[in-house]
Amino acid sequence: MLQRISQRNAPRAARRLRQASLQVGCYQAYRGLATPSGPYDAVIIGGGPGGYVAAIKSAQLGLKTACIEKRGALGGTCLNVGCIPSKAMLNNSHMYHQTQHDLQRRGIDVTGVSLNLTQMLKAKDTSVTGLTKGVEMLFKQNKVDYIKGAASFVSPTRLSVDLLEGGSTEVEAKNIIIATGSEVSPFPGGAIEIDEKQIVSSTGALDLQEVPKKMVVIGGGIIGLEMGSVWSRLGSEVTVVEFLGAIGGQGIDDEIAKQFQRILAKQSIKFKLNTKVLSAEKKDGRVFIKTEAAKGGKEETLEADVVLVAVGRRPYTEGLNLEAIGVEKDNKGRIVIDDQFNTSVKGVKCIGDVTFGPMLAHKAEEEGIAAVEYIKSGHGHVNYAAIPSVVYTHPEVAWVGRTEQDLKASGVKYNVGKFPFAANSRAKTNLDTEGQVKFLSEKETDRVLGVHIIGPNAGEMIAEAVLAIEYGASSEDIARTTHAHPTLSEAFKEAAMAVCSKSIHF
Amino acid sequence: MHPSLRVLNARKPLISFIGKRSWPSKPESQHPHPAAPSELQQTFSDFVKKFESSSSSVSPSNGANGGSKEAFGEFWEAPARFWRPRIRELEDGEIDAISSGGASLH
Repeated sequence: MLQRISQRNAPRAARRLRQASLQVGCYQAYRGLATPSGPYDAVIIGGGPGGYVAAIKSAQLGLKTACIEKRGALGGTCLNVGCIPSKAMLNNSHMYHQTQHDLQRRGIDVTGVSLNLTQMLKAKDTSVTGLTKGVEMLFKQNKVDYIKGAASFVSPTRLSVDLLEGGSTEVEAKNIIIATGSEVSPFPGGAIEIDEKQIVSSTGALDLQEVPKKMVVIGGGIIGLEMGSVWSRLGSEVTVVEFLGAIGGQGIDDEIAKQFQRILAKQSIKFKLNTKVLSAEKKDGRVFIKTEAAKGGKEETLEADVVLVAVGRRPYTEGLNLEAIGVEKDNKGRIVIDDQFNTSVKGVKCIGDVTFGPMLAHKAEEEGIAAVEYIKSGHGHVNYAAIPSVVYTHPEVAWVGRTEQDLKASGVKYNVGKFPFAANSRAKTNLDTEGQVKFLSEKETDRVLGVHIIGPNAGEMIAEAVLAIEYGASSEDIARTTHAHPTLSEAFKEAAMAVCSKSIHF
Repeated sequence: MHPSLRVLNARKPLISFIGKRSWPSKPESQHPHPAAPSELQQTFSDFVKKFESSSSSVSPSNGANGGSKEAFGEFWEAPARFWRPRIRELEDGEIDAISSGGASLH
């Protein structure tokens, strides 16, 4: 019988073996393509979320594709030192904090809870490595040539690449996409120098080897609040200093921002809004941060063990030699593009953080796909009115579309509908009831213009709002759609009901 | 309620399902990027002029890309569809039928 089975499977096994050996042969052949064997259809400079997605899509569309990345690992800032490691730290620090402060009221008694920061950092690194290696595998699967090195333009169709393993090569392409992303902005005026030990950027804040007793976060935007939350949960006394009068960064609804600040303040994070940082001086193992009121006047000195500078990011184009081919940049260092991602030089496109629009990984991904679709077919699609933003604190904050202050300023007539998680059954059972869903819809048509959520799982829930805006849905369309009970998503439906009629449970 | 009245009062969802996209045969024309600053949007014609005057051509010595008119020295240099069909794989029964010259079907 065994013999029979093996005989039956023999042709199939042989075929599999043949296929496997072909794939190996193919990969070896492809590895050699950094040496000329005809130009690529598309070469992408940068292997971040914009670049690697563009490369995979390009190969899927049948274009001969290469991706050049100088970090030595794919995934860019997002996977290596941004979104991914910060989410690992946010999730694990939340579990630690919850175990210490929240389990008892749920009827779970735990003793001997302690922090093993080394292990927590290792867990973060494991998730990062897994994902970056995963992208590398996707490149192999999709036959994208991965060239490890730093690219610079020789001409609009030719790149010189300094290979990480030593030496250099040249690559020719019919189309080149710049996807080099962004880097941490230094403190304005150079008054504060980042050393990644005591004065850190988001990169250093993800790798602190001990929990600082006191931490000052300069900048109350998404990165500052997320990293401030991590270290606050692990035991730091965190103070956020923000020049503006509200936290949350650009695009957040004013009402949500205020509620967000109240909630974080209850979690022991201190805020100094409308406050300007003048300098940070290291002395006797501590950092002294001099501040004054944003409008001038009252000076104050804050003391910290670690200072996080989170004042934003700036486009990264270093070493590309853009001047040689005449690619235009604006006064913020962003590469100027049209709506088809063309730079001012034919055949050279640009996507992601290094050009216009919000610096978000998912925005870069969409642009990556659209850019190669333009190359392939002359058509592509990115809806900039439907790009969500998420702050992964607890509770999470997420939004898409227009804010109430924005609608007021532009004179658009609108309706508002809100629903608090305190009235949602699932939030109640989870003992996690802080926050609300807020809908804004056009008065005349009821079309959804903006959705703002603060609450548990807001980052997942916002996807429904993005889809609604993409499809041009009305709040009534959502209100008449069945949402499973008991789920947090019912709060979303009820907020929609509150716009077009009335919510049931509040 | 009378059925016809029910039809008249039927709610029309605002949501629109666009279905499968069919692109026009001509490529789209250039416009300013929607997220570009207004001063750049206003001077977009300058950008287009600069774009039009720029040149981009690959050197002829290297021939074409992995397109259909190329001759391939090795089978794996041809597009994958020629040697790695992804649409469907042969079933065991089909393989048996081929291997046995059709005898396995009887």
